[in-house]
Amino acid sequence: MKCFILAAVAISAPLSAQWLHYPTPGIPRTADGKPNLTAPAPKTPDGKPDLSGIWTRTNNPNYFFNLTADADEAPMLPSAAALYKQRLAALQKGHPSERCVGHGPTDYATLGQPRRIIQMPQMIAILYESYNHFRQIFLDGRPLPPVTQPAYMGYSVGHWDGDTLVVETTGLDDRGWLDMNGHPQTETTKITERYRRRDFGHMDLQLIIEDPNAYSKPWGVNLALDYFADEDMIEMMCENEKDFGHMVGK
Amino acid sequence: MKIAAIIAATLVPLSAQWLHYPTPGIPRTADGKANLSAPAPKTAEGKPDLSGIWRATEDKYFRDLTFGGPPAPMLPWAEKLFKERKENLEKGHPSERCLGHGVTDYDTLGTLRRIVQTPTMIAFLFEGYNHYRQIFMDGRPLPKPTQPSYMGYSIGRWEGEALVVETNGLNNEGWLDMDGHPQTESTHITERFRRPDFGHMELELIIDDPAAYTKTWSAKVPIVYVPDEEVIEDICENEKDFVHLVGK
Repeated sequence: MKCFILAAVAISAPLSAQWLHYPTPGIPRTADGKPNLTAPAPKTPDGKPDLSGIWTRTNNPNYFFNLTADADEAPMLPSAAALYKQRLAALQKGHPSERCVGHGPTDYATLGQPRRIIQMPQMIAILYESYNHFRQIFLDGRPLPPVTQPAYMGYSVGHWDGDTLVVETTGLDDRGWLDMNGHPQTETTKITERYRRRDFGHMDLQLIIEDPNAYSKPWGVNLALDYFADEDMIEMMCENEKDFGHMVGK
Repeated sequence: MKIAAIIAATLVPLSAQWLHYPTPGIPRTADGKANLSAPAPKTAEGKPDLSGIWRATEDKYFRDLTFGGPPAPMLPWAEKLFKERKENLEKGHPSERCLGHGVTDYDTLGTLRRIVQTPTMIAFLFEGYNHYRQIFMDGRPLPKPTQPSYMGYSIGRWEGEALVVETNGLNNEGWLDMDGHPQTESTHITERFRRPDFGHMELELIIDDPAAYTKTWSAKVPIVYVPDEEVIEDICENEKDFVHLVGK
């Protein structure tokens, strides 16, 4: 994971850095034994696409820093634009990750480090290598609850729209940032994620941000995730303030 | 969340309210309450299904893994370190630096953890610190430890109705409990989980470490199913609590 270590170092102190290689059991392989990443996407016994496995985000690495890296600037309301400008000028100082609090759904999605998706009929868990954090997505048909305790990861429910997993998240905390540059997230932010596994090795992930208190209209970004075969996630705990002293900021 | 006092003693929960949502698909009595003495469920493959939200019933083992039993058979250096840590009132425990816990102290913690079970992997999602742990069930061997970590490397197998999990690759920085029983890079932990009925799980923890203990020792920790509740986000924000720790 050499290419991603850099990004991690910039935001936290990884306590360990070596990688474990173990052949992923049960995945399709070509005649030479390599993972066949263009094989058909697997299905669960109940006929849904099975998104399980370890994935990394492989398209534009700058999305982690700026969700609008290769698009028009987000349609920020003046208050949000002012806060964004302030954060940008402070060179990311103040991002929750510097206090080991980690990331939220959007910046974990755009992070290049691996994440494991564990899919069951009633729930999906996403285990992030970074910060050793996890996230739960309920698939049991429950509605999004009224927001009583805003959280960095929010509260997520998912449903299937054909072969696409649609995840809706509310209950987010206004202390979270959508990206390292600081596009604001508020307690009224709603994030919709659309996951579509095109084949064994490739998944499209569309992120849509809605927040009438921060943005004049919905906006989003399309991410590409690649299956990460024959690797394991390692433990990467954030040890507080080990890195804090190295942050520059203003 | 009556065990909030335990959390408050060890870290700062960023959120404290609980979400109540009826757990779908669990056995219930005529009055709609969870039937905790119903038979334990099985997976499609006929293995015991340990999935669900669980917690340790009390924090005594979390404080001291030898609670109710003889002292751990520590080697002199381990005993000296243990005494120092205990006298220092737990100051220095990794949790004060937001590093959370390891295998034994997450197992014995009174806060919630969700067990997610699939045929090839079991994951524990801990409310405490929003940390998780992976247990590989695909038949792989324990690797040679190359990078010691707080959670170690865990593989599991079924022995009849018991899930047997073996962990190595632990680091020297982790503590087995809040009192400070030492863990080292050569510590090998075996966990035996058995779910006798829907609402109860018996966990036997077996500690083997010739570098710290003269012989193998163990603890039996009762764990209960927590229906109609959820694991909430409890992220540790660094050093917010650090200044309040007393120590010496």
